[in-house]
Amino acid sequence: MNFWETVTGSDLTRDWQAFEARAEALPDDYRAAWEQIKGHLHPHGDFTGRNLMPILDAALGLLEETAADGQSVHEVLGDDIRGFCAALAGGEGARTYRDRWREQLNRNVARKLSRLGG
Amino acid sequence: MDDLTEMLKGTLEGCVLEIIGGEETYGYAITRQLNELGFADVVEGTVYTILLRLERNKLVQVTKRPSGVGPPRKFYALNDAGREELAKFWAKWQYVSSRIDKLKEGGR
Repeated sequence: MNFWETVTGSDLTRDWQAFEARAEALPDDYRAAWEQIKGHLHPHGDFTGRNLMPILDAALGLLEETAADGQSVHEVLGDDIRGFCAALAGGEGARTYRDRWREQLNRNVARKLSRLGG
Repeated sequence: MDDLTEMLKGTLEGCVLEIIGGEETYGYAITRQLNELGFADVVEGTVYTILLRLERNKLVQVTKRPSGVGPPRKFYALNDAGREELAKFWAKWQYVSSRIDKLKEGGR
C-alpha cells in the first residue's frame, strides 16, 4: 500500500470492486448470503474497514469453493450467519466499534464522577 | 441428536484436530466426517472458522492443491505444536468425562 492509496483509500475501492465482481459469479442463494456476511462483518471494521479486507476475501473464498462443490449455502453456513461472522472476525469476544464506544463512554463517565468527588 | 451445538462448542476444535491428525484433509471432508459421526448440525462454515483459528494459532500446516472444480483447496496437516495440542485436548477430555461419569453414578 503506498501513500496515495492510504490517503485516498483507492486500494479499498479497487478491492471492493474485485469482491463484487467475484460475488456476481456466485449462485443466487450464495449472493444473498454474501450480502448478509457483509452486513454482519461491518461492525467489526476499524475506521476505514481495511482490517476487514482479508476476512472478506477469506469468506468469499469459502463461498466460491463450496459453490463449486455444488453444496447449498445452507449446508455451508447453516442458520447462524451472524455467529459465523463473529467467529471469522476473531471469535465471540471480537471487539466491535460499539465496544470501543462503550469503553470510551465508561471512561469518560468514571472521570467525571471522580472529579465530582462521587 | 439435535441441539448439540452448545455442548459441542468447546470440544469441536479437538475433534477437528483429531481428524486432521489421522491424515491430511480439507474442510469439506472434515465436515462430512463429523456429520457421519452423528454430529448432524455441524456445517462447513463452522469447521472453516475452526480451521482458521488453528491456522492462526500455528497448529496446522496448510498446503494449497488444485481441485477438479473451482478454486484450489486448502489441505491441513498437524505440525508438532498441533500434535501437542491434540494430546492436551484428550487429557482434558479424559478428565472432564471421567468427572461427569462419576457425578452421574452418584459417586460424589
